[in-house]
Amino acid sequence: MLLPSVQRGLRIGAIAFAILTYLVLVGLPLRLGDLALPILAGAMALFFWLALRGGKSKQDVFNRQPALLFTAGLSGGLTAGLLIAALLAVFVNLTSSGVRLQPIFDKMTPPNLAALYGVAPGAIVGGELSPLAWLQQALLLTVASGVGAALVLVERWARGRPTPRISALRWIPLLLPIALFLFVLWLGMPGVTFGGNNRGTIRLLAAMVTIGAGILALRAAHPGRERQLLSLLYLAGVAYLPFTLDQFQNSVLGIVFIFVMMGLGLNIVVGFAGLLDLGYVAFFAIGAYMYAFLSAPFSSPWLSAQLQSLGIPANAPLLSFWMALPITMLAGWIGGVLLGIPVLRLRGDYLAIVTLGFGEIIRLFMLNLAELTNGPRGLLNIAPPYLFGYNLGNPRDIFILGLIGSAVIAFSAYRLDNSRLGRAWIAMREDQDVAQATGVNLVRTKLLAFAIGALFAALAGQLYAARQTNIFPENFSLFVSIDALSLVIVGGMGSIPGVVLGALALKGLPEVLRGVDEYRIVTFAALLVTMMIVRPEGIIPSTRRRRELHEEAEPVVGEDVPSVLERLAPELKSDNPDGGKK
Amino acid sequence: MALLEARGVTKVFGGLVAVSQVDLTIEERMIASLIGPNGAGKTTFFNCLTGLYKPEEGDILFDGRSIIGLRPDQITALGIARTYQNIRLFGSMTAIENILVGQHVRLRSTPLGAILQTPFTRREEQRAEKRARELLAFVGLTGKGDMLAKNLPYGDQRLLEVARALASDPKLLLLDEPAAGMNPRETEAMMHLIHRLRNELGITILLIEHDMKVVMSISDRVTVLDYGKKIAEGRPEEVRNDPRVIEAYLGPGILAETHP
Repeated sequence: MLLPSVQRGLRIGAIAFAILTYLVLVGLPLRLGDLALPILAGAMALFFWLALRGGKSKQDVFNRQPALLFTAGLSGGLTAGLLIAALLAVFVNLTSSGVRLQPIFDKMTPPNLAALYGVAPGAIVGGELSPLAWLQQALLLTVASGVGAALVLVERWARGRPTPRISALRWIPLLLPIALFLFVLWLGMPGVTFGGNNRGTIRLLAAMVTIGAGILALRAAHPGRERQLLSLLYLAGVAYLPFTLDQFQNSVLGIVFIFVMMGLGLNIVVGFAGLLDLGYVAFFAIGAYMYAFLSAPFSSPWLSAQLQSLGIPANAPLLSFWMALPITMLAGWIGGVLLGIPVLRLRGDYLAIVTLGFGEIIRLFMLNLAELTNGPRGLLNIAPPYLFGYNLGNPRDIFILGLIGSAVIAFSAYRLDNSRLGRAWIAMREDQDVAQATGVNLVRTKLLAFAIGALFAALAGQLYAARQTNIFPENFSLFVSIDALSLVIVGGMGSIPGVVLGALALKGLPEVLRGVDEYRIVTFAALLVTMMIVRPEGIIPSTRRRRELHEEAEPVVGEDVPSVLERLAPELKSDNPDGGKK
Repeated sequence: MALLEARGVTKVFGGLVAVSQVDLTIEERMIASLIGPNGAGKTTFFNCLTGLYKPEEGDILFDGRSIIGLRPDQITALGIARTYQNIRLFGSMTAIENILVGQHVRLRSTPLGAILQTPFTRREEQRAEKRARELLAFVGLTGKGDMLAKNLPYGDQRLLEVARALASDPKLLLLDEPAAGMNPRETEAMMHLIHRLRNELGITILLIEHDMKVVMSISDRVTVLDYGKKIAEGRPEEVRNDPRVIEAYLGPGILAETHP
């Protein structure tokens, strides 16, 4: 039993080493500054906890034996620690002997290494590290792995407690968002210096984590009074956020929630109805351009000429943001139906390819129909929304509009999910032919999925155009579709709260992690792959998906369980053992 | 007037004539069986009746109206429902949700109504849910409504398929091998259920079945297909003694087996 634990430890240690090496190579220690050591050690302790507890069921946690756990943990920590210490020693030695590493490892600057050792950059260049510093990483990781193993034991202990204790403990995750929210407020107070130069970024991250934790807490709360109370509390907190955050933070969250709006729409098409749409950006573009035409007709050569010939002054918006809303929605709806009709008969991969083409067609249309869309020069000076003469175009108000839009769309999507149409969507996703034979009109059901999804995307597009005030075809590339699809998958297909978390993770985190800039995409690719292996159903899977992908966690119901039929059967005559031919 | 009348139905796949000039008349409140060796075209004929396939020739009248060329969902709306040989439930939906999908054609609420939760939609959903529970109880699955369809035991899945089919208020119910893969006790309970469908709900039934004990004991009339052609038709005892049927399908042993 000891040897397998050590082997397990070595494996975990190797993975930890790989992660740490990556983080060092992309220059994360430098970004974190003074906090590099504690944050990395904390993150590794969390990693060891998750790796050591293993398995997906609670049962696994109970089965962990302390001695084996610590054997695995410490051998893992020691492996990772010694490896990283050796690697860093090589880097430090090379740096101090004057070899420039930057051409290959462009983040391997002395300051980056220095941050990791907690010394001044000069010490690295001069090679003045104390002997203890060389082993610092090994020690730190061993301690982190020990903490990780201890966390597993704590979890085991907590889960094994009788219920009353647990019910007190369950308030911790429920109230965590409040603590985080207070942290966000505290960070914003004048004179607080926590995090130094990174204070704003930390605050943005904390605000995002607050929103995410709030959603998780609401899901964990008991339905009824408790959930209602917490919802009100958290709603008030989120509503207050835009007023306390600064311009940059609001602007990032504004984009996040524009993507939430879009993701919620795509979630209907892909998550509910199971229609893989890779050209979803088309509807976003339709919404944005439709609002741009209505708001800034003077940017479009053809439109302004037409308006002039009609005697309408073309130098002002035709319609306000609010008046344009129904028209944008209608345009999205029509776009959805127009895409839907030709692809009605297509399934799976073929559908994906055709929708991909559709997305590109719309973009090329915007690019080349220069008379109407002004081509690559884009449509400029789009009016921000006004309310009672008050300009809502600043990042804070756009964020608020994004929140309101997301709330309205999430609410609609939730109600649709639990309706006759929602059931038809899921039935169609499960088995299209049977759904039709059961009475579902496939044409109508599919077109409604495309149209409703497109309508939501068009709303997001209009808000986006109002936020940017200038839009160009390049804003609507394939990558927007991919982002939207990724956030739906990462959040959990078919799950409405999952979309919000997915958007925070995919559109928000990159802004927080500006530090890894050019490695951002690589980091996300790695995260996505890991995520899909470890948790294919997404962060917050819809209940349905979770059951689909983790069947083994379900109580086993199989053929050995007598069916109702069997119990209802009248007493069997013993002279007929066969019961006829099969 | 006959509830269902098929005249000269022919379905061809490439060079293979799967169903050839089949006539079939089913009167109301009848339990009719369709039997024949594997590949005789029984399920293909079912698929023609439910609109999954469009027959090359012939006409199918349901309630006096031709259903050729109608989509499957339109045919379901007219009152034909079916189950499948290899169970095809919506596995990741609960039992109740499966039945609610079955009621789809009988519900009228719109997407906008669902978003706004209009009184009409709310009432209709409540009624639909109540009806789903009743149907669940009718087939004997009370208390299993919130289980995922795919987690139900095999026999229960068959029952749920029947309940889902019943949800569309059919006049004619097509059962494709309802007793396949069941043990004798389950088979007997299924036969009992089929009787109740007819006697209590007044539903006309057409079933495909290989279990001769089931076929012979519950059918009012049996139709035999072989290589897509109808080779015999009549009361169970007539068909059982028909030499062509014995040769093509039953085999000489059947006489001994069903006359203990």
